[in-house]
Amino acid sequence: MGIYLAKRIGLAVLVALFVSILAFGLLRLQGNAATALAGEGASPQDIAIIVETYGLDRPLVVQYATWLGNALTGDFGTSYFFKRPVAELIVSKVGNTVTLAVLSLGIALALSIPLGVLAAVYSGSWIDRVCSLISLMGQALPSFFLALCLVMVFAIQLRMFPASGTGSWQHFVLPAVTLGYYITPPFMRLVRAGMIDALSNDYVRTARAKGLPAHRVVLKHALRNALVPVVGLVTVQLGLLIGGSVVIESIFALDGLGYLAYQSISYRDFPVLQAVVLLLSLVYVVLTLLSDIVNAWLDPRLRVS
Amino acid sequence: MTALLTVDDLKVDIKTRSGTLHAVRGLSFTVNAGETLCIVGESGCGKSITSLALMGLLPRTAQRSAARLRFGDTDLTDARHARKVRGNDMVMIFQEPMTALNPAFPIGDQLTEAYLYHKGGTKAAARARAIEMLDLVGIGSPAERLSQFPHQLSGGLRQRVMIAMALMTDPKLLIADEPTTALDVTIQAQILRLLRDLQQKLGIAVIFITHDLGLVSRIADRVMVMYAGAMVEEGTAAEIFGAPRHPYTRALIDCIPQPGKTERGAPLGTIAGVVPSLIGTVQGCAFRTRCAFARTDCAASVPERAEGSHRWICIHADHPARMTETA
Repeated sequence: MGIYLAKRIGLAVLVALFVSILAFGLLRLQGNAATALAGEGASPQDIAIIVETYGLDRPLVVQYATWLGNALTGDFGTSYFFKRPVAELIVSKVGNTVTLAVLSLGIALALSIPLGVLAAVYSGSWIDRVCSLISLMGQALPSFFLALCLVMVFAIQLRMFPASGTGSWQHFVLPAVTLGYYITPPFMRLVRAGMIDALSNDYVRTARAKGLPAHRVVLKHALRNALVPVVGLVTVQLGLLIGGSVVIESIFALDGLGYLAYQSISYRDFPVLQAVVLLLSLVYVVLTLLSDIVNAWLDPRLRVS
Repeated sequence: MTALLTVDDLKVDIKTRSGTLHAVRGLSFTVNAGETLCIVGESGCGKSITSLALMGLLPRTAQRSAARLRFGDTDLTDARHARKVRGNDMVMIFQEPMTALNPAFPIGDQLTEAYLYHKGGTKAAARARAIEMLDLVGIGSPAERLSQFPHQLSGGLRQRVMIAMALMTDPKLLIADEPTTALDVTIQAQILRLLRDLQQKLGIAVIFITHDLGLVSRIADRVMVMYAGAMVEEGTAAEIFGAPRHPYTRALIDCIPQPGKTERGAPLGTIAGVVPSLIGTVQGCAFRTRCAFARTDCAASVPERAEGSHRWICIHADHPARMTETA
């Protein structure tokens, strides 16, 4: 287990370094960084000032090292648009996005695991079809449409939850339900397929031969094995949720990272964009590492390789 | 001797797209306490399905019916009663030790599970019992094994773990479905010896399912030969091997290669033809299409004949080849 962990962590650090190079290169890739930063219609003097301020005339390696050094100490520069340090800006938004992502994921798992297990145990019957239909609707309905429906019913008609804003926990309910239901289908399909596979295995027959009650056979022996691939999907989806809740965050005016990323692109706010890209990539790297560790715990065979 | 297991007119039907497959067609037999009954037959003769039907482990597509299915005083056709017996007094080990253990749990957990469920008691007591059983089946340093996972054990060791697991609840009947088929020849011999020793030491009854007649001659008290989902002959090991009455039994015995007798390099014995389809009803003797002694009236109903404990179902009163030999 120790060697396995060391290998995984080493790999994660390498990937993180590579990602930082990409994030750094982002600005340079589109040609002259100084003109890009200065924006349209900038005078040569303005560009010269920018070149000097940001040290753009130095060798790329030196620039990268300086940028990475600063980034490691938490200094991502200052936002052009918000006129605040980027780090401070991100810290103020990241909590909302993470809360939303974790809540949505919780809702998705709470929906998909029972639905998937039921569908697998009764595969081919009407129960299977009903479960699959419930989950498929999540995929078929555009998330903004579901969001509007939820707002109409629960915010406007029933007045149970606020329609928009970030103030309290109630603000997170509707966006989390929308996002959670939206990502339910892949989880449900994976749980169903994994359970059907697990239930046909010899070790399930062994468990039944022990005279154990059906729920113990299904929920202990089969589900444990069916959940291994789900862990991988959790990390991928969590990464997507943190990086990709732009639409939902804007509909519900939820002040999170996705909304910030969207804004930084429209305002050509490069320091913010670089930081967000780097951060989101690191989220992926860390989540992949975590999923490897959790998988090794779920499936002991992985620990040796 | 008292009958431990009574099976009367056991039938298993499997629904398929091309019709209903009658996998087991009216099987009746008993198993007495402490004896070894071997069920033999070719692949597809219904012997494994029979064992699954006894344990109540048939797939959902299969339908079981029986005039009587009793374990001691328990009616196994009642699912609630059957579950108290299954995994407790009546246990089963399988053909594939590589996949029969759950890869996600340490073997200690899998060993103690049924014991804790059926017998109750503390985890420490179950653990002690597990160590005792692993020791009994000849696994070294049993205490350390408990925390190991199935993938850390070889096939032979896994089958020993399966046997230890089956013995945890001190069962009266062990059903072994081809427990050595998937193993190396040397490991096969070890597992077989282990099963025979355990059976003698613990006095449990064993239903041993196999297609290997050579193996049967080494362990069986009684033998039941199955063909196309039905019994064709049943008797003590001496009766079956000494005086087989059914042409199918005789043909199977002739297929066993024997050192010294079987000619070196010569083709091994085979029975020509294939097992008939079990979809729809089978009229008369199912073996008649492959039988060297078939007569036209074999297609009509064939009588069950008995001589003491020896039963067979054939148009001929004695094995036809034997009759001509002695005549």
